[in-house]
Amino acid sequence: MAVTAAALGDTLESVVGRNYLISDPLRLTSYAVDGSVPRWVAAPGHVEEVGALLRLAFDERLAVVPRGTGERMELGNLPGRVDLVLDCSRLSAEVAYEPDDLTITVRAGLSLEALSARLAPRRQFLPLDPLVGSSRSLGGVVATNDSGPLRLRYGTARDLLLGVRFVQADGTVTFGGARVVKSVTGYDIPKLLVGSLGTLGILVELTLRLHPMVEAEAHWLVSFPSAERAGAFLAGIVDSALQPSRLELLNGEALIGLALPHAPAAVAVTVGSVPPAVRSQGEALLTLAARDGGEVRALPDGGLWRRLGRLLAGALLVKVVTAPALTAEMLSSVDELARGLGLRARVLAEAGDGVLHVALTGDLSPEQWERSVILPLRDWVGPEGGSVVVEAAPQPLKARLDVWGPIEPGVLAVMRRLKAEFDPRGILNPGRFVDRM
Amino acid sequence: MLTPEFLRELARIVGPAGVVATPEGRLTYECDMHTFYKGAPDAVALPTSAEQVGEVVRLCLREGIPVVPRGSGTGVIGGAMAPRGGVMVSTTRMTRTFEVDLLNRCATVEPGVINLQLTHAVKDRGYFFAPDPSSQMVCSIGGNCATNAGGPHCLKYGITVNHVLGLQVVTGAGELLWLGSKARERVGYDLTGVMVGSEGTLGIVTAVRVRLLHLPEAVKTILAVFSSVEDASETVSAIIAAGIIAAALECLDEPAIRAVEEGIGAGYPKGAGAVLLIELDGPRAEIEAQAEKIVEICRSHLALEIRVAQDEAERELLWKGRKGFAGAIGRLTRNWLLQDAVVPRSKLPQAIRALNAISARHRLLVAHVFHAGDGNLHPIICYDAEQPGELERAMQANEELLRACIAMGGSVTGEHGVGVDKAANLRLQYGEADLAFMARLRQVFDPTGIMNPGKLLPSHPACGETLSAVPPQSLPQGAWV
Repeated sequence: MAVTAAALGDTLESVVGRNYLISDPLRLTSYAVDGSVPRWVAAPGHVEEVGALLRLAFDERLAVVPRGTGERMELGNLPGRVDLVLDCSRLSAEVAYEPDDLTITVRAGLSLEALSARLAPRRQFLPLDPLVGSSRSLGGVVATNDSGPLRLRYGTARDLLLGVRFVQADGTVTFGGARVVKSVTGYDIPKLLVGSLGTLGILVELTLRLHPMVEAEAHWLVSFPSAERAGAFLAGIVDSALQPSRLELLNGEALIGLALPHAPAAVAVTVGSVPPAVRSQGEALLTLAARDGGEVRALPDGGLWRRLGRLLAGALLVKVVTAPALTAEMLSSVDELARGLGLRARVLAEAGDGVLHVALTGDLSPEQWERSVILPLRDWVGPEGGSVVVEAAPQPLKARLDVWGPIEPGVLAVMRRLKAEFDPRGILNPGRFVDRM
Repeated sequence: MLTPEFLRELARIVGPAGVVATPEGRLTYECDMHTFYKGAPDAVALPTSAEQVGEVVRLCLREGIPVVPRGSGTGVIGGAMAPRGGVMVSTTRMTRTFEVDLLNRCATVEPGVINLQLTHAVKDRGYFFAPDPSSQMVCSIGGNCATNAGGPHCLKYGITVNHVLGLQVVTGAGELLWLGSKARERVGYDLTGVMVGSEGTLGIVTAVRVRLLHLPEAVKTILAVFSSVEDASETVSAIIAAGIIAAALECLDEPAIRAVEEGIGAGYPKGAGAVLLIELDGPRAEIEAQAEKIVEICRSHLALEIRVAQDEAERELLWKGRKGFAGAIGRLTRNWLLQDAVVPRSKLPQAIRALNAISARHRLLVAHVFHAGDGNLHPIICYDAEQPGELERAMQANEELLRACIAMGGSVTGEHGVGVDKAANLRLQYGEADLAFMARLRQVFDPTGIMNPGKLLPSHPACGETLSAVPPQSLPQGAWV
């Protein structure tokens, strides 16, 4: 059993090969997680190597932090310790694509855009569209349960992940779920792992449900004189047989950021179907818009959707989840709060799901951010069982609070028992998950 | 056996009217729709609130008595019977609807609310609860959660877990917890997702917050007739390859059609090799275009006849045939075994051929009724228990059928669940490490192992239970497929 750092490094190197272990301090700094620089970065090329790395980490009690492309490494509480960053980007092979079954099995390091390119010739796609990062790895997207506007029609990773191969804390390679679209054989392990940030196991292989591409798509931007009117429009759409693929509510600052005509609020809509159905639904939307005082602008293509992510860059990023019917109201409240504090708040909301992405810029101290912004937001969503997650923030703010927010103690207790059962030595992404587990 | 003190305590919690402890009374709870697996509980408790459920579980925890949850008892996996005795907790008196919140498209109900009644309660307002198992006139929402029930329309809409926003549960550790909320996302681990489909082994569901969907603008139901199940299966593959996600794609073969027509008279063409019951729903313009394409595909795949339901009455009759099928099978055979295996849908024709070869080899009739759209087969192996050797051949065929499906990359069960019926079969699909992970998961929620013991996971051979002969399985009239 290796005991010295050098010996550990040698052992790690013997697993992945010299070219795939970083131990040079200069190079390691670019792999820092919220300021914590790891001791090593290992990039396994095979599932067996992941197993071997974790067995070693388990034996030596090394804190392991999984990494896909590294674009959302900041999501989570400040890490307890970072010994080994597990770079999964080499695990990108396609294992089995079954177009006639609308399923695909891939290694977790494959990126969304590479997958998309693979599926497009067969006119199929995976409807996972996080606002930031089509270059992200599937494992990263699933481990963080990231999602975007298409969740309205297609669901999130929770609904799209059919089967998962993962490596437990002690290096055991384990499978859960199935490779077919319908299965209730045993416990739903994929559900347990979605959004778990690698804290119960490291994802190495994913079986995903695919969808056929729609024949045609049309996009509209509908501007409103107030968030309230936008809310009425949204309610009208939701309480109808219309089937939009995307329904995004934007605030005034978001429109400014996109160089779109100014309005207090606007709704961007996509309808995807056969051309006659796109037309008829478009007409229905126009009727609803007129009723609620909306000004409709047909967009030439779906380019707007690709630009949304940029609005969220470089700011304090907060994800507010509330009851869907309260989305417009929450947007108003955020606008008002920001105004009162001299902040700029850009808000993009998946209105059908009650998910608001709030990008805040302004000059507040960490204490002010916490007291005047985060806590009031958490108060507002509390009664409906919503949440406020601080997804990106400067370290001094992250040091002050739990980025995930409170969880009912009884429920948290069960989550802690799960963590304790599957990661008894606390080596999988320690400190980063809810309640700093 | 339960002591008089225990029974008194039980009566104190749920009221004397809420306890069934007589021998005759307990016998009526000795099995679910899978009548072979019998196990009468030592007592049945019928609580009327989540708090009462919590107290009952905690009482059983203190005394080390097993707890067996039971909804409407319509399961077909031997899940709701008590092989080790204990207290059966029936949810039939928990039938309140706490809230219907259409603005947020959800409703909160007690577990004893009947599936179809939930949809009927919101239908006039234009909403429905999507999971539609064939037993939906009788099965409970709690039961749907426990088995993660499906139904024909889950092809398009997903299964129960995709329609549960949150659950209130009493865990095997006796905790009363609300998991999830109206919000479409929660921080932390997806405990709701793990609880759904856990078949009462992790806890008892005491309330469910379900997701409601808006009714589609239009519905179109088509019956396509073929001379063989292979032709029908190839057609299904072609429909999916054309990028059409139908709301339902159901297939029945010749023996099944015969049974349906003799028993129900749904207008299926007797003598046809197979029929495909196809349903489309959504925006009218969309389904019209899809229907046109489907008719084209059916024709180019040797459909003998294509019939489009002209009105709601015709549509209902077509569905009555499908959903009432299991009740009609008695016309074909005295006894039967039922599988619920899933194969990748591209392998459907291959699977059907393999299944037919197996049944021919064992000289048994196998009828096919299945959710063709998602590869969920329901082979019904017909036998006569009174004929010597037929049961054994049926059991053999049953086992071979399942192995064949798993070998094609399938899954042991698509919607019925595991219960006791399929617990041993999990080893065909999962390795020891995978099963060990599941066992540890179970222990987190149920540290002392009182929740529905003996269900869902295979017993370890070292525990002294035999994994040998699969016991004979018979389903009575009125069971749902």
